[in-house]
Amino acid sequence: MDFSFPKEYQLFRRMVRDFAENEVKPLAKAVDREHRVPFETVKKAAALGLMGVPFPQKYGGMGGGEMGYCIMMEELGRICTSTATVIGAHTGIAAMSIYLDGTEEQKQKFLVPLASGRLIGAFGLTEAQAGSDAAAIKTTAVRDGNHFVLNGAKVFITNGDIAGIMTAMAVTDPSLGAYGGITAFIVETDTPGFSIGSLENKMGIRGSSTAECVFQDVRVPKENVLGQFGAGFLTFMKSLDIGRASLGAACLGGAQAAMEGCMEWTMAREQFGVPVATKQSVYFMIADMAAEIEALRSIIYRTAWLIDTHQPHIKEAAICKLYGSEVASRCIHKAVQIHGALGYSRDYWVERAYRDARIAEIFEGTNEIQRIVLASNLFRPYGLRIPS
Amino acid sequence: MKIIVLIKQVLDPAGILIRRDKEKMFINREEYIVGPDSKAALEAALQLKDAGGAEVIALSLGKPRADDALREALAMGCDAAYLLNDEAFAAADVPVTATVLAAAIQKLGGADLVVAGRESGDTGAGQIGSRLAEALSYAQVTDIHALTGVPGAIQATRRWGGGYAAVQALLPAVVTVAPEAFPARYAHGARIMNAYREWQVTTWNASDLGLNDAALKPLLVFRGESFPQPLPVGEQVKGAPASAAHELITALKLQKAIG
Amino acid sequence: MDFGYLDSWIEEQVGKEVVEQTGTGYRNIWVVAEASNGALAPGTVQAMGQARDMADSIGVYVFGVLLGAQAAPLAQQLIAYGADKVLVAGTPVLDEYQPETYSRVLADLVGQYRPEILLLAATALGNDLAPRLAQRLNTGLISHCVKVEIDMSERLLLGTFRILGGEMFNTLACPEARPQMATLQPGYFRTPSQDAYRSGEVQEVEADLSGTAGRLTWLNLDAAFDKPAVPLRKARIVVSAGRGLGNAEGFALAEQLAAALGGVVAGTRGALDEGWIAEEQVVGIGGETVAPDLYIACGLSGDIHHYFGIRNSKLVVAINADEKAPIMKVANYAVVGDARQILPAMLQALTR
Repeated sequence: MDFSFPKEYQLFRRMVRDFAENEVKPLAKAVDREHRVPFETVKKAAALGLMGVPFPQKYGGMGGGEMGYCIMMEELGRICTSTATVIGAHTGIAAMSIYLDGTEEQKQKFLVPLASGRLIGAFGLTEAQAGSDAAAIKTTAVRDGNHFVLNGAKVFITNGDIAGIMTAMAVTDPSLGAYGGITAFIVETDTPGFSIGSLENKMGIRGSSTAECVFQDVRVPKENVLGQFGAGFLTFMKSLDIGRASLGAACLGGAQAAMEGCMEWTMAREQFGVPVATKQSVYFMIADMAAEIEALRSIIYRTAWLIDTHQPHIKEAAICKLYGSEVASRCIHKAVQIHGALGYSRDYWVERAYRDARIAEIFEGTNEIQRIVLASNLFRPYGLRIPS
Repeated sequence: MKIIVLIKQVLDPAGILIRRDKEKMFINREEYIVGPDSKAALEAALQLKDAGGAEVIALSLGKPRADDALREALAMGCDAAYLLNDEAFAAADVPVTATVLAAAIQKLGGADLVVAGRESGDTGAGQIGSRLAEALSYAQVTDIHALTGVPGAIQATRRWGGGYAAVQALLPAVVTVAPEAFPARYAHGARIMNAYREWQVTTWNASDLGLNDAALKPLLVFRGESFPQPLPVGEQVKGAPASAAHELITALKLQKAIG
Repeated sequence: MDFGYLDSWIEEQVGKEVVEQTGTGYRNIWVVAEASNGALAPGTVQAMGQARDMADSIGVYVFGVLLGAQAAPLAQQLIAYGADKVLVAGTPVLDEYQPETYSRVLADLVGQYRPEILLLAATALGNDLAPRLAQRLNTGLISHCVKVEIDMSERLLLGTFRILGGEMFNTLACPEARPQMATLQPGYFRTPSQDAYRSGEVQEVEADLSGTAGRLTWLNLDAAFDKPAVPLRKARIVVSAGRGLGNAEGFALAEQLAAALGGVVAGTRGALDEGWIAEEQVVGIGGETVAPDLYIACGLSGDIHHYFGIRNSKLVVAINADEKAPIMKVANYAVVGDARQILPAMLQALTR
């Protein structure tokens, strides 16, 4: 069993690491302070094929599969969670949903510009009354000739205000509920009737934008139905299931950065005449971080391998997200403690990482949902159904 | 334009720790990279390719693992790659390296331009460029900071006499580049993914190049390694401003921290 | 006492050819001189001093070689610096450096006179020319030497040069091929004094350049070149300002020092608050991390928050009036004094 990455992936990791250190890192503090999306980074990333890493080259993607995508998300997450979020929402769930369920025509028309970075993508699922209970969405899509007319409002949509393409879920038959009554649509955001409401003022990942997206009689061509009509719920769940692995990878990067930062600091900082790294209370914390990070690394890349080899992966992806977000939170929590008062200072990266890490346990399916997914997959073979 | 770029794979200096006080070199992380000087050479060649269309061939003398360095060169934009590998090359000194590279360049049918780093970052002698120019009877311009192609020649800005000089050289020519003057581009992700499948790295050994043992005999012998004095810590410089400043400047010049 | 027996030997020596041609052997130490604007290059002078020392230790002669009509008048100076004989190829064609013509002339001279050691200064010209010449002569060249010496037991030139960014030295020798060539890194060798009373021989030599043409066109020997700006985190020399500089005039001194050294300016949060520097120039935990070869901290106390940003510097100089300031203990050189007085003195010392 060869656990080493194939050579092209090693080369890819070195390239992304260099890119992250030299292009992303200098902006990390500023985008958080100024609450702005690093468009210059997006432009550079697009030029290098980094906006479509998992997608085949014939669709304008990089051809890196989930393995390559997780590598990139890990390296970006190590440097700037905001940047990882912008690219992650675009690639991992928005473009991914078209890749997984789009027709060939839809892939050519919509996936290619997304994969090549000419357009940014967003994933329009959540509504004010429909978070974990995703089936409770109220946005409607009513058939009118060759179009569907969408009405409603989505909230907490990452990239919502900068996306050129949004995959949105809408109710097409209220009487049928989650299975049969909801359809996924590809919406071009320059369609009349689509507008942006308010932008969220977030605790962290302030270098990404989170928007309220309003649909007012937005006419979407029937060719833009994504996946099977009425099976929108399944389309979206498929995308979220895969997206979890790469989100876990970004968390892995964040945890890694926390540990590296702690090691550097504790080797330099002296108290009581010695580097604090030699104090057991400190190095135990760092050792714990290292153990969890290694374990997380294994599950992330094993899951990526499962996905790339078309094997079942829902359980493992849920673990990636669940464990990844919690490992990152634990590591950054320890990092704040280790840095002492410095960890509390807004001038230094630690408190930004602390704020950035918190969202991972919440979005893309709260950790509670992940536990439901995990448990239901654990018990299903025994015939026991876990209700959500 | 046909351009041959010389690539040297070196140990990543970030993984090397040198302890002057212990007079030892520790290799904490053994990782091999395309040397920064070679990357700069690649960048200079690829800029010419972007500007006017050129064929860029990467050439490396190294162990089999130098294949990875050549794959990176291909990912960055080279059109072909050649590896010169043979047990007989293992003990090569600078003159032998020049002999091998010259033979390979001739086997490739020569080039309009050969681009190399000014010196390799590790044991950099900074000789290969000029040696090759003599061996191939090409023109030469070394330590260049800017490069453009014109019909039948190249124009370069090179370090000269404490400043810079603008010079034009007729092709065929060999140029060596200053690493800081050509910050290397990132390889495109798709080319990286394809690096190990879309191209063949052709490998030549000593007999492919028609080199016998006599041609490969080193001219130089290794006579020892040594370490500079450890830097002082907290060494105080006191006294009147003029004398203190003088003492400091002298110390800095001795340490080669300033010119 | 009667010293008449010496007189006859003195008579024999006068008019004797300075050069010993031993037939098959290589003998004597050569320095290929470089000149510009009517003066010998400092590197050439240092190489002459080194050549003289080595020649004295093995009892051979030192030859200087001058190329070009403009350089020809410097022959006496070479003798004053230690040459026993100077070969002058004084044709104006050689006033312009061309790798092909210079290596042709030198190779021909080497073939004729067979020096055992040939030295050049590791200047832009020397670095360009020496390897081409070595290749032509099929001999070994030890370049950028910071030290050269003769191994007396084997009569071999040992050249020591820096590797791995200057953190280590390697020493090489060229046991068989001749001449043993080396380029000497200017600044690492003492500058000998001129002895105007030294005598030596100056010999004009013909340069046969038939069939050899230079292929360079020197468009501008003193071209302006705007070096691209280097981000602070990649700067090689950083001059950093702290509150101890007092006011904007004090800060200007730090800027001047940076300019004189070819470095960039940075500072502490205090300097930022004073309005001397921008946010991006703040070094320390809350700002940039730098890793220069030389970091000069002017008037800053340098607690752990600052030190963390500079811990990867190769050499740290601190200038502070308070010798107990934290940075004074971690700096390599701690100059105790008011930066506002030390910096002008440094600027003076640098321009001398």
